[in-house]
Amino acid sequence: MSISLTAGLPARASLRQRLGDRPGLARIGVIVLMLLFWEVWARTLGDPLFIAPPSATFVSVFGILGNGGVVKALAGAFFELLAGFAIAVTAGVALGLVLGLSRFWYGAAFPIVLMLYAIPQTTVLPLFILMLGVGAKAKIVFGITHSVFAVVLTVVAGARNIDPVLLRCARSMGASRRQILFNVVVPSVVPSLFTGMRLAMAGTLLGVLLAELYVSSAGVGFYTTQFASAFQPAKLFALIALLAAMAVILNELCRMAETRFNRWKA
Amino acid sequence: MSMRDNLSQRGVQIGFVLVAGLAWHWAVSNGKVSPLILPPLPAVWRNFVGIIVTGQFWPDLRVTLTELISAFSLACVAGCAVGYMVSRSAFAVRVFDPLLSSMYSIPAILLYPLYVLFFGIGSGSKIAIGTTIAFFPIVLSTIAGLSNVNRSLVVAARSMGASDWQMFAQVLLPAAFPVVLAGLRLGLVIALLSILGTETIASFEGVGHQIVSNAESMEIAPMFAWVFLAVLIAFTLNGIASALEARGRRGAE
Amino acid sequence: MPAAIEVKGVSQAFGALGDARRVVALESADLSIPRGELLCLIGPSGCGKSTLLNVMAGLARPTSGQVLVDGEVVRGPLPQKVAFVFQEAALFPWRTIEDNVKLGLAFQGVPTNQRNDRAREALDAVKLTSFAQHYPRQLSGGMKQRAQLARALALETDILLMDEPFAALDEQTRMVLGEDLSVLLARTGKTIVFVTHSLVEAVFLADRVAVFTARPGRIKTILEVNEPHPRQRNFMTSDKLTRMRNELYELLHDEVRRTMEINAEIMP
Repeated sequence: MSISLTAGLPARASLRQRLGDRPGLARIGVIVLMLLFWEVWARTLGDPLFIAPPSATFVSVFGILGNGGVVKALAGAFFELLAGFAIAVTAGVALGLVLGLSRFWYGAAFPIVLMLYAIPQTTVLPLFILMLGVGAKAKIVFGITHSVFAVVLTVVAGARNIDPVLLRCARSMGASRRQILFNVVVPSVVPSLFTGMRLAMAGTLLGVLLAELYVSSAGVGFYTTQFASAFQPAKLFALIALLAAMAVILNELCRMAETRFNRWKA
Repeated sequence: MSMRDNLSQRGVQIGFVLVAGLAWHWAVSNGKVSPLILPPLPAVWRNFVGIIVTGQFWPDLRVTLTELISAFSLACVAGCAVGYMVSRSAFAVRVFDPLLSSMYSIPAILLYPLYVLFFGIGSGSKIAIGTTIAFFPIVLSTIAGLSNVNRSLVVAARSMGASDWQMFAQVLLPAAFPVVLAGLRLGLVIALLSILGTETIASFEGVGHQIVSNAESMEIAPMFAWVFLAVLIAFTLNGIASALEARGRRGAE
Repeated sequence: MPAAIEVKGVSQAFGALGDARRVVALESADLSIPRGELLCLIGPSGCGKSTLLNVMAGLARPTSGQVLVDGEVVRGPLPQKVAFVFQEAALFPWRTIEDNVKLGLAFQGVPTNQRNDRAREALDAVKLTSFAQHYPRQLSGGMKQRAQLARALALETDILLMDEPFAALDEQTRMVLGEDLSVLLARTGKTIVFVTHSLVEAVFLADRVAVFTARPGRIKTILEVNEPHPRQRNFMTSDKLTRMRNELYELLHDEVRRTMEINAEIMP
């Protein structure tokens, strides 16, 4: 008696079925399709004064990296990002722990923090530039104001949600206040801190980029204005692509750190 | 928390506002800070009242609000439509949801120079950036809301013979509503912020533009008046949006 | 020889006097617990038994009355004398099981060079040696409670207080762990106070069972179970256990009914 091994199965698995288990593959497919569409549209219908195809953009990346001024602007933005991020996280953790661990200060100062958070910051950008000038300082400060709140809010949430059973347990075993701080509070709050850091990175990016684009006399803003007004779309696209790549990489790093430090949270 | 603690907390909050106001006043009247940076509060107030009373605020406010409404409407339609279509297939959700999340993490403000290139520095570029930025929270929350509807509701409705339209209108939409509404609210707020921001960066009209042009001509008191107006708009809009969201959530319960 | 624990007129109320929402959880409890006894506290929900345990541990201050441990008034936690086992396995999720035990020793003030050995011994005693490097989330409920017990044992206190430690476990696991606990008691001679809802568990484990009334909780009766430790498996199926269990049921039944009526008033 022979048994057909393929009885009941379709003659050939369809593309859909083969992709069904690999969404990653499908995603890459979507991105490739979009790039192809862009390439074709730019070359046929697009006005070369405004649109550049991905191929030209890619080539342009190397072109503008050869320009010392552009490299300096990019490096400057990167430095501002890191400085703003570091300061925002440090200050945010300190403030967040104070507000999160003290019932009194939470009730007193947290509403103030929320109120400040709600002010649309883009409206005070011109004021910041006036007060701090067009250099790195203003951009760093603007990056900080966009990110410190995320850190404060997440650290406060983490500090307020420490498992009370763990605190009672530590007390019952004779832990001193210092031991409780380092062995219960800090490890409990660390996952929220890393979530806050991921959000802070996004905020710092936004703040620094906003400030850079606003200041058209130097830095990144200078080159975006220049490439646009000279109708050099390939260079403009390339510059934006580099900044976008920087943003994606930094975000990914923060996300990976967050996942690693959230491991014990079942 | 004892009564005394509650009062002390209120005291801290009121004290903060008072100290901030007094510090401002003191710094200006004692010449510690140049009036070019921090004008006397009464001057700001006078300017603000002046702008309101003379109706001077209206043309720019109208521009900003028009841009906001256009951008938000476009983002809503696009976001909900795309979100609905993606949510219909679990595979599509697995493909597109992470893709859209990653795209959301790129600061969309980077596209602004491109939009200025395409649309000029008028309203077009502001509407474009507002739509782009607001699109993502709306589409992501639509997908999340629609694909996380309690399976047993869907199965029950299907077993009773519900048509596609009935399924959408009577089951999916009401269940997904609170989540979608939260996304809409977030979209509205960041659309406003990005429009104000881009008006600040490069524009010839609108509330953001007024702030910048006053800053550049060193008319600081009027600049503060316009900032105050912008803050008022943001607070009001946020308040309306959150009231609507709370209403929507209550209705869903 | 002085009693290990003396409870004198302990009451616990929540809310201020005159406040309409004032709740008297525990009213005037008196107990004298000799060394080496395993005492069970059993009663309906909200009868104050967990409250009393927390007061004994120094984790809560009574509204009136006092607790004496070894003749001294309890004013706060006594890590050298009393170890507490919680209902929810209070294990630090970011540390391995072995590190959890060692952390307890660190809190108690044990010098570093002794910690490794004591931790190993304790884990051996509860048969979790091969899981020493695992994290709490990798363990089942029963294993987590064994780990918590190991930590409490490592502290080498004379007194062990346990607040419904087996409540979240299935009945079969509970029975086995109960047997283990009885063996432990016979070997170490610790004084154990054990809060439980389970009638069978109470009779199987305890030397004496204190039965509480509905709120406000008072000690209604104290039953004596005259059976040597370690309790044997056949005790579980004996007539004596069944009789005592039935006696407990009679004592508790009305209190449980009363508690349900009280709760119905609170949540109409």
